[in-house]
Amino acid sequence: MSRRYDSRTTIFSPEGRLYQVEYALEAISHAGTALGILAQDGIVLAAERKVTSKLLEQDTSAEKLYILNDNMITAVAGMTADANILINYARDAAQRYLLTYNTDIPCEQLVRRLCDLKQGYTQKGGLRPFGVSFIYAGWDPQLEFQLYQSNPSGNYGGWKATSVGANNASAQSLLKQDYKEECNLKEACELAVKVLSKTMDSTKLSSEKIEFATVGKTKAGKIYHHLWGAEEIDALLKEHGLAKAEDDENGDS
Amino acid sequence: MEVLLGITGKDYVIIASSKAAMRGPTVLKATDNKTRNLNKNSVMAYSGESGDTVQFAELIQANVQLYSMRNGVALSPPAVSSFVRSELAKSIRSKRPYNVNLLLGGVDPKTGEPSLHWLDYLGTEAKIPYAAHGYAQYYCLSLLDKHHHPDIDLARGLTILRMCSDELKRRLPIDSKGLYVKIVSKEGIKEHVFEDEGQVLPA
Amino acid sequence: MGSPFSMNGGACVAMVGKDCVGIACDLRLGMQALTVSNNFPKIFGINDSVYLGLTGLATDVATVSDLFRFKVNMYRLREERNISPDTFANLVSTSLYERRFGPYFVSPVVAGINQTSGKPFICGFDSIGCIDFAKDFIVSGTASDQLFGMCEGLYEPDLGPDELFETLSQALLSAVDRDALSGWGAHVYIIEKDKVTKRLLKGRQD
Repeated sequence: MSRRYDSRTTIFSPEGRLYQVEYALEAISHAGTALGILAQDGIVLAAERKVTSKLLEQDTSAEKLYILNDNMITAVAGMTADANILINYARDAAQRYLLTYNTDIPCEQLVRRLCDLKQGYTQKGGLRPFGVSFIYAGWDPQLEFQLYQSNPSGNYGGWKATSVGANNASAQSLLKQDYKEECNLKEACELAVKVLSKTMDSTKLSSEKIEFATVGKTKAGKIYHHLWGAEEIDALLKEHGLAKAEDDENGDS
Repeated sequence: MEVLLGITGKDYVIIASSKAAMRGPTVLKATDNKTRNLNKNSVMAYSGESGDTVQFAELIQANVQLYSMRNGVALSPPAVSSFVRSELAKSIRSKRPYNVNLLLGGVDPKTGEPSLHWLDYLGTEAKIPYAAHGYAQYYCLSLLDKHHHPDIDLARGLTILRMCSDELKRRLPIDSKGLYVKIVSKEGIKEHVFEDEGQVLPA
Repeated sequence: MGSPFSMNGGACVAMVGKDCVGIACDLRLGMQALTVSNNFPKIFGINDSVYLGLTGLATDVATVSDLFRFKVNMYRLREERNISPDTFANLVSTSLYERRFGPYFVSPVVAGINQTSGKPFICGFDSIGCIDFAKDFIVSGTASDQLFGMCEGLYEPDLGPDELFETLSQALLSAVDRDALSGWGAHVYIIEKDKVTKRLLKGRQD
């Protein structure tokens, strides 16, 4: 039945659905989990990096977390190749805004710019939608710290804590259970690793398997974003007793 | 001999423009308003080639208002100024550039900080405490150099404006038919009736 | 009207020292003889160890500095590292030559320290991007003739950061005193391997 309708993204099925968009969402639900938590004094993004082979170079660059501009970062779930196109588009849009207005683009506007592009591929003829969901963390003077999520349909929304990718349903319910509105960034980081440790396949975490980033404010009131290094992640895991034991460090991953 | 003046104080900006619309030495109209309100907290005053001025001012006004509608927040005065500058910089390298000089005054709705931007038709922009365009530059800037301080109150600001207006009347060969004055503060834009008190003669 | 390069006035100078470089500019913005602003810096930070000075037509100074902020931010995001002064100099050159038949009326100066080699780097450009590499000093702006004279007289190789600051400042301040279109205070940057010192000079206010 569906074969008659799903080859074109632009056509509704008789039940009023867009199959290609749903397939894209399905593809994302197999990708590594990514989550974001909004705290009083900052935001944390965390993502699971799927280690496919130990021959693969691991220490190159982040593959799940990206910087968009001076006050915004994003976590990706889905097809990395598609994400690269969108991230480049977002960075360009942010710089273009900075060029005309001499102020950083407000977070929601940047999210909307990306979502307008994504939406186009649910309507314009013959092309496949982007197979990517994003979680955005950012700050602007109007609304301060903000967390957004968007998906291949071009829908987006603001969240206090959210997740995308594999096991996102269980991650979401864990977040719902344990999220505290008045939490600070440190507590949010703790919640993030705890949720990840429960939703990921392997029980013990390590810096090779996850990526971590925070947006916050320095004592001087300056906004910073920071993609964590391996040592920082390991220290955090150790602190919460989630790190892989020292002796099985050499075991197969 | 169009006059544009701008003065910032501790929590306000005064924008003044001459009422006379001129063509060569002829005064065509004595109630010409050379200012536009861009949004609740910024005003633009313009002078230059007739035709270009209103066309450009309305282009900017429409775009600034469109931004507010699309995004639910108004652009801050410095952001408006950067936008206008980029439009002028684009224009100067186009086939027929706009010949418009501007003063842009505003108060940041969130911080309450006043700002005044001076822009010319080339896209030159400067954020300064007091500004003028046209002949007013030669007569008024020296007065303002002497009397202006960043923390003057509104009454003092208006007194200094009166000194400027008197000096222009005293020295310009053509009467500019008085000034339209707008005051921007955190509360918004207010029109101020600036009485024209007859002749001022040189010593 | 005259040349677009001398409508607004302004001066900029860069010098090499021992394991350090300095770059300085005046603060005047004018329209012919009339001064519009006395707080119009012409040096722009590209990153912690590269600085760009721009003199010439003020509208183009703003346009070009904004354009390079755009390009350098994109470079940093893509490459995940800061641009080196040598690479940046080539970026400036190619970007200006793109406008070969309708140039930006600016005379750029680049000064910085290459973080990988630790070597000081300075260079200047004409408005269409021809690079002038120098191992001593680079001057630009309406006071460039005066600056050449001052630099020829005061410069000596291998100055330390403090002596470099002194030499650079004296060269700039004395040069702009003999130029009607420059002056009204100055910004001076001294760039070392892991430290940048920015100083504001009040200068003559006339």
